[in-house]
Amino acid sequence: MKLIRKRRNGYVLMLAVSICLAVWLGATFMIEAVFAFGAISLISLLLLVRQNRLLYDATLIWDNRIIAVPSALISMPGSQEKKDNDEIVVSTFGILIGSEIYRWGLDGVHGVRLHTVHINKGQMYLTFGDTAHTMRVELLHGITQKQAVLDAAQKLFRETGVTADITGW
Amino acid sequence: MNRHKLLNSRRLSVAGFSFLFTYILSFQFEGQVLYSLLDMHGADADTYILVAIIAHFAGLFTCGLFIKSQAAAKNMMLAGMGLCLAATLPFFFAPSSLWLGGLIISGYFSGCSVAVWGFFLKAFTPENRRIKSCADVLIYSNLLMIGVNVVAVNRSTFIGLSLAILCLVIGMAFIWMLPADQENEQNKTSKNKTYGSIKNPIILLCLFVFIITINSGLMYQVINPAFDHLTGLVSWYWAVPYIVALAIMRNLPMKEAKHSKILYIGMAMIIGAFISFMLLKRNTTDYLIVDTLMLGACGIFDLFWWSILGEMLDYSDNPAQIFGIGLSANVFGVLCGGVLGMAVTSIGLSGAEVTVIALTVVCVTLVMLPPLNRQLVLLLKSHVYLAVYDNMSQSQQTDIVRQIKTLDPLTVREQEVLQLILSGKSNREIAEALFISESTVKTHTRNIFSKYDVGSRSELISTLLKNQRVNDT
Repeated sequence: MKLIRKRRNGYVLMLAVSICLAVWLGATFMIEAVFAFGAISLISLLLLVRQNRLLYDATLIWDNRIIAVPSALISMPGSQEKKDNDEIVVSTFGILIGSEIYRWGLDGVHGVRLHTVHINKGQMYLTFGDTAHTMRVELLHGITQKQAVLDAAQKLFRETGVTADITGW
Repeated sequence: MNRHKLLNSRRLSVAGFSFLFTYILSFQFEGQVLYSLLDMHGADADTYILVAIIAHFAGLFTCGLFIKSQAAAKNMMLAGMGLCLAATLPFFFAPSSLWLGGLIISGYFSGCSVAVWGFFLKAFTPENRRIKSCADVLIYSNLLMIGVNVVAVNRSTFIGLSLAILCLVIGMAFIWMLPADQENEQNKTSKNKTYGSIKNPIILLCLFVFIITINSGLMYQVINPAFDHLTGLVSWYWAVPYIVALAIMRNLPMKEAKHSKILYIGMAMIIGAFISFMLLKRNTTDYLIVDTLMLGACGIFDLFWWSILGEMLDYSDNPAQIFGIGLSANVFGVLCGGVLGMAVTSIGLSGAEVTVIALTVVCVTLVMLPPLNRQLVLLLKSHVYLAVYDNMSQSQQTDIVRQIKTLDPLTVREQEVLQLILSGKSNREIAEALFISESTVKTHTRNIFSKYDVGSRSELISTLLKNQRVNDT
């Protein structure tokens, strides 16, 4: 989330600078440069809007976190990717892995939904997706006490309506 | 006995307000008497009219801030009408700064007196009969106004002015006879009990009123000058179609009068008025056709929003504020419509071009009315349903949520949010109650809408509580 915020601030700065330059160059009648900086302003604005939406979703996920984990393995049909980050959280509305967001439960019944949750001694497996795509995330949860797992599962059910399948405890 | 007393109070309040409104329509608010006086002395009409309208707007808008009870409302009405009377006296003499000062004072206090009538409308007219009280007030005041106008135009302006002042005196007498502290049972129980915020419905209603009135203002500016040569006919016929439309609407069955198809009839009449204006000439028959369509539509629209405003009084502890704000939107619309009309007519285009521009503006704005009305009706229904929900037991409340099928089951958290929505709480209040952020509440709310396949909070409340309401009634 820090990275998203940093990027957002960068785009704000870029937008402000490019607008100032476009205005200043406009005053000195350098039309070509005005067009160039105008285009940069427009692109910065679009990037800023996108980054702002990302930050909004990231904040939403962070505010509603259920469990924080040290490592994640993302599986999609045909590919697998391991992610280690000190900022991985599972929440009511998705998973935040550093600056990457995997959303669910944000767009009602027709959007991406969390389908299943499976928790064993060391890992937690989450499957989510919409009618077209499904993804699976494997998390090293690092929890050692059964009560903590039960609490997390209960919170997950309360917030997402998905009953976690707990094995090996 | 109580019912008889209430009926008498209703008649007194309607009579008192009708006479006050006659004074406003015939003199203070762009009245024929004021125009005749300004014309007689060759004074700059625009400045006086503008000042009077702005003062009236200020009175309507601010009165609710300092008048909070029915007793204070009665005193305000009497004092306000007395001040209007005093401020009108300088108009018997030659123009001076007292004219401008008089218009500011009478404008402000007539606005206050109109706004505080909201207390009497709420207290003395049952909710389902408010459309009739509003219609009565508009019909009587317009009939009296026609009388005053005819005298002012055809006999003497000063006699017209005297009649306008006489209306104030008679109005004061009726208001003086009103009971000051009578509060019916309905008011006592509804006091301090508002369901959800009244802000959204009142903003929507103001927008609705503003659009309707801006069209009226535009029409007056574009159509009226073309019939200036028919002064005698205009002085008495002008408001007749308006009164007839009000009388028809008043006697329609309650459901019909509030139905949105009435809106479509009004819209068709306004567009018909413009098209007739473009196609017909400028003789007496043409005026009768155009004015009948135009003012008939105004009557329909006016009673439509007056009755909604009347219903809204139940959702607030301060009816003067609601009534004043609603009517101030009307005054603001008149002002903006007039300015727009003047702008359109002063750019040097031909009559036909001006009419086409005005017609385009009218059509574009009228298109907004049906969706606005739909949203407004939904919001008002929500208030009614929430009141019903509030009176249910805990088990009944839970049953309602369970009875309606969703596209997908609600999570425990969503159920908690839904219960709080049905208690009339805002997003912020829900966030505070559940210790979550407001954006989280918004996301849960969106998901709930999606699961119930609805588009807004009011639609959700209507969907959930409609069946219960039907069962109860």
